[in-house]
Amino acid sequence: MSDSLSEKRKIKSAKKMRDIMTTYYLDAMTAEQNNKQVAWITSGGPVEPLVAMDIIPIYPENHGAMIGASKMGEDLCIKAEDMGYSSDLCSYARSDISCSIVKGGPIGGLPKPDMLICCNNICGTVLKWYEIQARLYNVPLFILDTPVCHTGYSPEIARYVRAQIDEYIIFLEKVTKKKFDHDKMARVGRLAFEGQQLWRKILNTTAHKPSPMSAFDAFFFLALIVTLRGTQIAVDFYRDLLTEMDQRIKDGISMVPNETYRLLWDNLPVWYRLKWLSTKFSDHNACLVADTYTSAWCSALNYIDEDNFLDSMAEAYTRIYLNIGVDQMADQVLDMIKFYDVNGFVMHSNRSCKPYSFGQMDIMKIVRKKAGIPVLMIEADMVDPRNFSQSQVETRIDAFMEIVKQRNSPNDLCRH
Amino acid sequence: MKEIDIFKDAVKDVSAIAAGIKKKQNKIIGYLCSYAPEELIYAAGFHPMRLFSSKSDIVLAENHLQAYCCSMVRGVLEDSLSGRLDFLDGTVFPHTCDSIQRMSDIWRMKGKYDFFADVVLPVKLNTPSARTYMMDVLNKFKNELETAAGKEITDADLQASIKTFNLIRKNLSEIYGLQSQKPGIIKGADLSAIVKGSMIMDRDEVAELLPAIVDRLKRVTTPGKIGKRIVVSGSICDSPDIYTALEASGGVIVGDDLCTGQRWFDGEILDDKNPMAAIANRYIDRMICPAKHISPTARGENIISLAKKNRADGVIFILFKFCDPHAFDYPFLKEFLDREGIKNLLVEIDDQQQNLGQLSTRFETFVHMI
Amino acid sequence: MIYAGIDIGSITAKAALIKNNQVLGTHVILTGYNPLKAGINVFETLLTKVKISKADISGIISTGYGRASIDFADKSLTEIICHGTGAHFMNPKIRGIIDVGGQDSKAIALDRNGQVENFAMNDKCAAGTGRFLEVMANALEIDLDQLGDFSLKADSPSKISSICTVFAESEVISMIAGQEKRENIIAGIHDSAAARVAILAFKISIQKPVMMTGGVAKNNGMVMALGKRLGLNLIVGNLAQENGAIGAAVLASKL
Repeated sequence: MSDSLSEKRKIKSAKKMRDIMTTYYLDAMTAEQNNKQVAWITSGGPVEPLVAMDIIPIYPENHGAMIGASKMGEDLCIKAEDMGYSSDLCSYARSDISCSIVKGGPIGGLPKPDMLICCNNICGTVLKWYEIQARLYNVPLFILDTPVCHTGYSPEIARYVRAQIDEYIIFLEKVTKKKFDHDKMARVGRLAFEGQQLWRKILNTTAHKPSPMSAFDAFFFLALIVTLRGTQIAVDFYRDLLTEMDQRIKDGISMVPNETYRLLWDNLPVWYRLKWLSTKFSDHNACLVADTYTSAWCSALNYIDEDNFLDSMAEAYTRIYLNIGVDQMADQVLDMIKFYDVNGFVMHSNRSCKPYSFGQMDIMKIVRKKAGIPVLMIEADMVDPRNFSQSQVETRIDAFMEIVKQRNSPNDLCRH
Repeated sequence: MKEIDIFKDAVKDVSAIAAGIKKKQNKIIGYLCSYAPEELIYAAGFHPMRLFSSKSDIVLAENHLQAYCCSMVRGVLEDSLSGRLDFLDGTVFPHTCDSIQRMSDIWRMKGKYDFFADVVLPVKLNTPSARTYMMDVLNKFKNELETAAGKEITDADLQASIKTFNLIRKNLSEIYGLQSQKPGIIKGADLSAIVKGSMIMDRDEVAELLPAIVDRLKRVTTPGKIGKRIVVSGSICDSPDIYTALEASGGVIVGDDLCTGQRWFDGEILDDKNPMAAIANRYIDRMICPAKHISPTARGENIISLAKKNRADGVIFILFKFCDPHAFDYPFLKEFLDREGIKNLLVEIDDQQQNLGQLSTRFETFVHMI
Repeated sequence: MIYAGIDIGSITAKAALIKNNQVLGTHVILTGYNPLKAGINVFETLLTKVKISKADISGIISTGYGRASIDFADKSLTEIICHGTGAHFMNPKIRGIIDVGGQDSKAIALDRNGQVENFAMNDKCAAGTGRFLEVMANALEIDLDQLGDFSLKADSPSKISSICTVFAESEVISMIAGQEKRENIIAGIHDSAAARVAILAFKISIQKPVMMTGGVAKNNGMVMALGKRLGLNLIVGNLAQENGAIGAAVLASKL
């Protein structure tokens, strides 16, 4: 392929994003000098009030992804095991816990927190992880307890979580010794809403055939809606990214050169093998056009009232993809299969994430039956490469793609 | 002692117990977690029965839960899918851990039993809003039970239930206390059978048998050989062979922080004009499990207090492989114990696989060290 | 027109030739440490056997773990698709395949048209594979190819409960020390391996008729134990070990 073509395929906004993330981390590292406070918060945590209070939010899970992507996960996980943490525990948690002690990782460790905000809507692991950090750093810990909505959002859950939002505000006022500014909160809320709307629009562009970007790109561009949600920066960036995607569609630029097969991805990325996975599928002319993980950061749009953000936060944060029943998750997957018109479903059985991985087999059965498409399950881990066996995964991907090709047209199998 | 034998026979053949209960026209509601509100189940006229895996090979559950899932959860699912739990009329799933959360969905989607309830208790137990929510959830469960029973659960029903459970818990605490005072008066395997039996058998029968056991034990004198005093900490330990191995290695168990032990029966329900509030308070205040939160150091303080109260020579952590909440707590609990100079050991177990030879080696070495 | 398939497995390398929709010939050798050399060797030996030359071959497909090394193949495809194709070619009624090879085992489900619908491969472990049986045969000082006959003479199969090859071996050693009969121990080993493999079949709801392929299919004790676990009679052809190579050759004809 000529250089100019591969140049065209590169997403131009990527550089801008790297710059924004660098500034963001620099701000966090120099917070103390600038008389700002830093909060560590879980990826599903309610960040908007922090932004309204001028507190810099840091996401140990985003840091975990960076550790995985820079291939530093194995070493940090081993160090955590030396500290007594079982090798079966979440690799994000293990890496972060050891990183706090040894100051390792790609940026030499995270800036120490002034407070910890833990929302258990994503899993029960974060509760234990944040208890550990609370003991280590001896700082106040706030827990937003969002009960699991197995079959629906009940009135008692609504009452409980709403009451905790008020407790959250009081907590923040206490730790910052500042009064909570509800007007600013409303502005931040609107920005968060707008940011998520833009993110959703961006993810929707991949319904186009061929897709202007892949799930691997989405994994990369996700960082801003997680870390800088509620800021103008995030809104401006995503507006530009959306424009770029629309332009790519107009110009007929697809991420995968000969996109013939479209796939859906489930679970967190295998952070340390993204390039290899992306190339592997692309060599089969397959594009992973969407995934259930990145779309979790705009699903709350269904519940947010942009004119009443603080009130609607309770439902928005409780009814996320991982906090509902497996049958409801399956329904969402079926919707995505239809919307993106995919030929196959690739599920990452992620050893580190029980709420995401348990239930996958039932979802797989439902997808096979109701959508009639082949499903591949890849056993791996998001950050710890010791649980990844490349040749085994490779054989499974090849066999899966052979099945997809054969179904598409029996002659396809021997052609590509 | 014939009363102890009744418990020992019961745990050997759970399906016989189930058959007995069903003969009395009673319905059986199964549960996996010690936070299940048994008092409410009992007050509704149903029989609460704790579920343990039969330790059969995992075949059918392989299609639902991956190998990195806790073996107890997989084992119980296996039993259900294989038909070994067909005696159940229903199950209740209190919110415990991530594995049970998903197991609950899978179980509900299978739809094998008539009655199903998720009781999503709060994870936080240290705020007024959590207390309110706990009450709300318990009331909701009470309504679901009433619908299933076809009758109202009155305050009188609740008081009677509370009385029975208080009696059971008080007696179990006394037995534990006697064991701690006079170690070795009861074998670890027998004690575990008494506790497990109390979770499985007819509660009225249990309430009658236990005082007799307490009485007899009070009259036993200290046996000649006393082992090293061990406190055990962990989640589920449904392998009495482990206790036997520990005793054979020279240790004797004087207390535990186990889900299948003290954590299950800890905490009396205090007298309250509002029985639902009294029940809620007991679940909030009882010995805490790592899947719940009252403070970052609560469990550390607990284990030290338990070890000191029972004058432990050492603490042994018996943890299930793939049990996240316990595995996360272990390093800091170890740190607390090390600081107090209380020697401790960690062993990891699996529900299906018993490696008693390896365990004995570890136990012997540890007992020798303390 | 003649087509060739080459299957480079962890222990053995197989080659097959198809002509006019029939198997012209097959050959099996040990792979050794050089997959390309093994591929060249088994292919050329087969050509000599049927008295044809490379120029007569219209297409070659390679498969197996060493497939990428076969640079003279026109294309490489996974053993899943090749076993599926081979089984359907040998017996169009086949709906399921259980392949137990040297280092892995697989279950493959075919649809009515002989296309692969679903598959499951064993986890990162040796239990239930040819390797497991090899380790066990060593511990019992028996040749691999005698395992089958020994097990059929068992009167009371031992129960080997471990799911790990290393643990199983130590269990077997205690049984030997306990003077348990070798026939019974071997039957127990087969049952334990069959249990592991059966899980794969259950995972994909395999339907009959089911064919067993791979080197371990030559062990009649394993075939029986597996059939018992699955509750059906497994079909084993005399070209079971070469099934993947045959399938590769058939696919080569579609290039």
